[in-house]
Amino acid sequence: MTAVKEISMISKRFGDEFCSEEASKNNNSRQSVKRNKEFNKSEKWQNIEKTLEQDPVDVSSLKQFAISPGGLLDDELRKEIWPKLLDVDVDNIPPKPGIEVLHGHRDYNQVVLDVNRSLKRFPPGMDENIRLGLQDQLVDLIMRVLVNHDELHYYQGYHDICVTFLLVVGEDVAFALVDKLSLNHLRDFMDANMDRTKHILNYLYPIVGKSNPELREFMERSEVGTVFSLSWLITWYGHVLNDLRQIVRFYDFFIACHPLMPIYLAAAIVLHRADEILACECEMCFVHGLLSKIPQDLPFEQLISKAGDLYLQYPPADLAYDAILNFQKTQSYAKARSKNLQKFTRNKKIDKKHWFIFDHDRKNGFLKFTFWTVTTAVVSAAVIAYLRSFEWEW
Amino acid sequence: MSDLNNTDLHEEPESSVTVIEKQAQRRIFKIIVIGDSNVGKTCLTYRFCSSKFPDKTEATIGVDFREKTVNVEGEQIKLQLWDTAGQERFRKSMVQHYYRNVHAIVFVYDVTKMSSFENMPGWICECDQHNLNRDIPRILVGNKCDEKEKIAVNTNLAQKFADSYNMPLFETSAKDDEKANHVDAIFMTLAHKLKNAKPMMPPYLTVQLGDNAQRRGLERASTEERNDSCSC
Ligand SMILES: Nc1nc2c(ncn2[C@@H]2O[C@H](COP(=O)(O)OP(=O)(O)O)[C@@H](O)[C@H]2O)c(=O)[nH]1
Ligand SMILES: [Mg+2]
Repeated sequence: MTAVKEISMISKRFGDEFCSEEASKNNNSRQSVKRNKEFNKSEKWQNIEKTLEQDPVDVSSLKQFAISPGGLLDDELRKEIWPKLLDVDVDNIPPKPGIEVLHGHRDYNQVVLDVNRSLKRFPPGMDENIRLGLQDQLVDLIMRVLVNHDELHYYQGYHDICVTFLLVVGEDVAFALVDKLSLNHLRDFMDANMDRTKHILNYLYPIVGKSNPELREFMERSEVGTVFSLSWLITWYGHVLNDLRQIVRFYDFFIACHPLMPIYLAAAIVLHRADEILACECEMCFVHGLLSKIPQDLPFEQLISKAGDLYLQYPPADLAYDAILNFQKTQSYAKARSKNLQKFTRNKKIDKKHWFIFDHDRKNGFLKFTFWTVTTAVVSAAVIAYLRSFEWEW
Repeated sequence: MSDLNNTDLHEEPESSVTVIEKQAQRRIFKIIVIGDSNVGKTCLTYRFCSSKFPDKTEATIGVDFREKTVNVEGEQIKLQLWDTAGQERFRKSMVQHYYRNVHAIVFVYDVTKMSSFENMPGWICECDQHNLNRDIPRILVGNKCDEKEKIAVNTNLAQKFADSYNMPLFETSAKDDEKANHVDAIFMTLAHKLKNAKPMMPPYLTVQLGDNAQRRGLERASTEERNDSCSC
């Protein structure tokens, strides 16, 4: 059985309790009934608890739970599982540095400005004093990571990621989790500039194009670019979704998957909206205006499974060349190249353990993946493992 | 300003009258709003497009887009406002795309924050580097005038600066409901200027604003030579 079929099957096996919008739109009522029967939240819960009882805990099963429909189900489970997925020891979290250290950092002022404007990210109706307290904690949490790693740079949107962790797991554990993520999944966003972030955005068109060439052509002709999906990528959708439950569901998925998964999800969203986009006037502002607003009622579980399918069908390495072409199209390549080269060599020296999604091949100037081989054999039961199977060097 | 005529192309054969009518109805002008983080770019564009001060603003990530159709001397004109992120990393690599083909530029600083004013030359320079067409209208807006006791940027200083760049200066507040008309007037001023800026005609501002200082700025903008030097 191919990997693609397998993942679709898995998403079908776990049904639609979390994506009733999908079921209701599904003309094939027999199928939706079947799905509803087959997904069972309490059963999944029991399975998760059983897995958690084991010692040592089977992290790949946990990743599977995080990816499959419904994700990790509940914040209490997330508190326990997120650290395990990221291999974080919650009993050994370094103490918070003093205020002078936290407030003396170069990015402190920008962080305060952004956190002050983050009211929308706190649950509506939250007591103001509690919220203000959490906002202070949010500043400290962000500053703790930044002081801990001088090579990391704050970006507007990082606070949207941090607030999600803060609300779910509390300040100290959030620090440990975000600290780890910042050196891994988020590392490319935290350079001094956004060149690497731009490279990642360049994967969007190749993925869309493989599934729907007409749509890609239309979007290219409109010159809409990729900036509409920038906030999706660098906040893991925290900035654009209103419902915290939806956001944490995505976080389950992203924590358990390859760092490029947010861009596959972006492609899934764009593809899902193909008809709307094609009906638009083919001009940047119209297409940008449409795309930059994510409807809050999209069938998110369905899109997660679609993103997984796209990832399996068109793994990053297959798209790398196309992404570079896209990159060359959009900017002066030579300039970026020399900058990247410098950065690459510099970062290498700083810490060998940090990896980047893109590294520069000095000889021929091509970007290549250093941490992921697509040729990994895919064996039936390991499909979900395939989704998260690159081994991180923690 | 050839861009102005390119915003709407019709391929179907139509009588020239209907084509002109359609074009007239659908002229679109792209205005980019730039300045330091937190000066109120998002609030100003929101105030103009949605006619209120947003109760919860958020940091802008990359570029946001708002639009409003206005009636200028009987012509329906669509103004597209591109609201940019203030953080340097975004504008260095992300925002460039949006500088292309803009019809006007709005520079914003915060009257309660000197540094946001001092950074203006940098913003102007950067804009000049991106924009081949230096003749597009540019205006300078000092926001947060409602914070009277905190004002740090003196009007005369700002006016001198604006004069040296040949831009009109507006001091206003996105927050103060009483200034709502004033924010509208600023964007309407631009709309008028854009509407009337035909290739063969010198740009001229026609809106009369109540405040003398502001009108002085406008007049100078249309009569003096543009200071084109960019030292960065
Ligand atoms: N007092 C006052 N505050 C304002 C005004 N405009 C914006 N603000 C506040 O300034 C902060 C930054 O505004 P925002 O529009 O997000 O700034 P941007 O980063 O330039 O987009 C927010 O907290 C706003 O509430 C104004 O006219 N007066
Ligand atoms: Mg803003």
